[in-house]
Amino acid sequence: MKKKVGAILVIAALLLSGICFFVISKSNKDIETSQTLVVVSPHPKEFMIPLIQEFESETGIRTTIISSGTSNAIESIENGEDVDALWGGSILSVGPYKDYFYPYVSLNRAIYKEKYKKVDDEFTCFSDVPSILIVNEDIIGDTIIEGYEDLLKPELKGEIAFADPAKSSSSFEHLVNMLYAMGDGNADDGWEYVGKLIDQLDGKLLTSSSEVYTGVANGKYKVGLTFEEAAVTMLKNDKHIRIVYMEEGVVTTPDGIYINKNTDKLTEAERFVDFMTSKNTQVYMASELGRRSVRKDVEPSSLVIADDEIHTISVKKDRVVNSKSLWTDRFSAMYGEKNHE
Amino acid sequence: MSKKTGSFQENIRGTFIKYSLVPVAVIVTVALFLFVFSWIVFMAHFNEQENQSIVSEITRTMNICNEMMSDVADSLVDNDFEVKDSEIFAVLYKRTADFGEMGNLIILSSDHKTLFSSKNSVPRFLTGRESYDWGIWHQIYKNKNSVNTILYNKNLYVTYGLYEGSNLKVAVVYAIPGEAITSNISAQARYVIITDENGWVYASNTKKLQNEYGKVEQIFTERSGYIRYDGNIYYANRNNTDKGLVVYTINDISRSVHLIYVLIAIIVVIFGAIALVTIRSTKVSSEKYTKDIRRIEDAFEEVQNGNLDAKLDINSSTEFTIIADDFNDMLQGLKDQIQQNKELAEHAAFSQVKQLESQFNPHFLFNTLDNIRFMAKIDAAAADKMIVSLSGLLRYSIREMREEVTVKEDLENLQYYLNILQIRFNKRFAYSIDVTEDIMEYLIPKLLIQPLLENAVKYGFNGQEKLSVNVRGYQMKENLIFVCEDDGAGIEEDMLREIQENLKKEDNATAHYGLYNIHRRIRLMYKGDYGLDISSKKNEGTVVRLTIPKH
Repeated sequence: MKKKVGAILVIAALLLSGICFFVISKSNKDIETSQTLVVVSPHPKEFMIPLIQEFESETGIRTTIISSGTSNAIESIENGEDVDALWGGSILSVGPYKDYFYPYVSLNRAIYKEKYKKVDDEFTCFSDVPSILIVNEDIIGDTIIEGYEDLLKPELKGEIAFADPAKSSSSFEHLVNMLYAMGDGNADDGWEYVGKLIDQLDGKLLTSSSEVYTGVANGKYKVGLTFEEAAVTMLKNDKHIRIVYMEEGVVTTPDGIYINKNTDKLTEAERFVDFMTSKNTQVYMASELGRRSVRKDVEPSSLVIADDEIHTISVKKDRVVNSKSLWTDRFSAMYGEKNHE
Repeated sequence: MSKKTGSFQENIRGTFIKYSLVPVAVIVTVALFLFVFSWIVFMAHFNEQENQSIVSEITRTMNICNEMMSDVADSLVDNDFEVKDSEIFAVLYKRTADFGEMGNLIILSSDHKTLFSSKNSVPRFLTGRESYDWGIWHQIYKNKNSVNTILYNKNLYVTYGLYEGSNLKVAVVYAIPGEAITSNISAQARYVIITDENGWVYASNTKKLQNEYGKVEQIFTERSGYIRYDGNIYYANRNNTDKGLVVYTINDISRSVHLIYVLIAIIVVIFGAIALVTIRSTKVSSEKYTKDIRRIEDAFEEVQNGNLDAKLDINSSTEFTIIADDFNDMLQGLKDQIQQNKELAEHAAFSQVKQLESQFNPHFLFNTLDNIRFMAKIDAAAADKMIVSLSGLLRYSIREMREEVTVKEDLENLQYYLNILQIRFNKRFAYSIDVTEDIMEYLIPKLLIQPLLENAVKYGFNGQEKLSVNVRGYQMKENLIFVCEDDGAGIEEDMLREIQENLKKEDNATAHYGLYNIHRRIRLMYKGDYGLDISSKKNEGTVVRLTIPKH
């Protein structure tokens, strides 16, 4: 009797849960299982969104963006995470990690400006990014800032936004830039200035490039060391900032688009590279987003001053690529020394 | 069935538990299931219903826009691509009267120049340089002579490129006023997110469920139904409109699920408490209700153990009272019956004993009387003594009404018999009585020793001149032992075996009265391993031994 009741109970419970499960599973349906293209990028999101939107509507390839500093992005590729492409990060920063990437030569490269054509086969240049100083016009007051030397003014102590070159690609660009600019073409002579600058930071070293430009735009810092496009984006967002091209010299290094060697969506990733270097994209990027195009057939951006108005200096690319960890370590050591870490 | 039979109380208790707890458990479980089930069904249903209604609302709005675009295009074609403001406005007002806000209708030339704008403002990305092939212009170039919907810069546009051959004549762009679409999502109880085909959010009534880039979280594009995301549980529905928009309606059911968990936990706790209380109370109540059964059981057990004085006193319920009274009556009847049987048995035993006592060997009487006749001729004094002894013996035998006498009394009366034997056999017969003083006052059946001597004389003189008999009496533990030993001729082996066998029987089957009778009397009077045993050896003598309880 008891057994019977128990059996009925068990059957009833099974039946009920079965119905519930059925209802729930019926309502749970997979709509699409197609995987998305995963792109990791240090670009500002305001910069990425319109480009990704257009890429998706043009190609129908779903894209997932992961915002990340360049070194973190490379780390995640190193760790075998599901990343298909790295979008951004200067070729100087990514250079040491050449082996992680798939050598793809886009058809668009034929129309590149000569200096970007010469870049290694592995890397596809995306845009040219000069390092600049970003200045908050509202709070800078009368202090005149025209170059690196001006950052050493006493009133700017603790007011300078700078990210750790070991973590931020744009900061590493600035480190290279100041070493060459302040060392008068000899990087080894620039470290004296770096030491002085570290003093001026007053113990404030940021961890990502976005903290630099948003920090200045939001008034947390008076001046920051960042890259041109970020400052343009801030300008477009009606932030009261000004772009200063260092009078001591500006290093412009192209950033690139890199396909993860282990991607399982190579075709999609190649289309991504082709789309980002296509004429329409580069035109839009230059005219609306303030980026300097790598293509011959794209007019210079009206949002930024022309290439020839900037005092550019060149660097020995191979040396920089080979010295990356050496220099970032040296910077960290100097910073640690001054801040008793 | 290997199931062991439980006690009545356990069964009653089991029944209590089964018929109180189990139905409650079943009902509560079923109710809970139904509650959750119907909640799920209703929640899903309303979600789907709302999603459908938003989809149809958007479709309606989009259809209006599409019709308007066609009207505008018709007007333009009719006028050979010349823009007549009044006509355009007429179409615009007619179609968008419902929207509350007119929206911006823009007509552009193929070289990106503004020909018409209902709001006198044109976004810069539409009038940029000629070569511009991006966003809305890209759609216009890509889709010739057809209406398209595009989400651009967080606004929704309908575009229509009018081509003649492959040459773009004019492009019509209508910026749908946000209110026309978003008005029916803000007041919703659940999250509503409207995105384009690629998941870019156009409108939503929440900041949640979309990433920092303004895309709906990927998991919602991949699946619908129950979705666990970011520690919460959602029920999501997703439907596409035919105009390239996707409507997500998403219920955050985490709280409800938690509530259900809490509800289940509470019910389980309450049920556990009820179960505990029930199990306890059934123990008490079942004990109470089966108390009488237990008492009846105890009474029966007592009776079984021999206590017939057990009595049942129950007033709790009529049934048990009747049982108890009947039991008492029955027991009383049983007791009476037993008493009667006992009396009858005693009576029978008594009469049997009496009968056995009275069986004096008639040979002895004949012999004695013959002897007396003979003695009367030669020795009158001896004859006299024999008569006195015989009469004393007969008097003791007949007139002594008691069954039991003291050892001393029996020995005194034995003397009569010994006197007779002494006179009869004169010097041929010798005897000695050796009974310890400490047993003199114990009770024994009367005429216990006499048959022993009679037996000794009966078999002892068989072909021999002299006979001496020795009677000993003593106590041993709780028993009195009497041993009669003679040095006579002994008993023939066959006869001895016959006598021994006979002693074991209920009825005497032989002519050997004396020993059988005394044994039988002892057996009747004293229950237990008492009685007589005999051993004898040819030409050496006979030993008879009596054992009776000391009392």
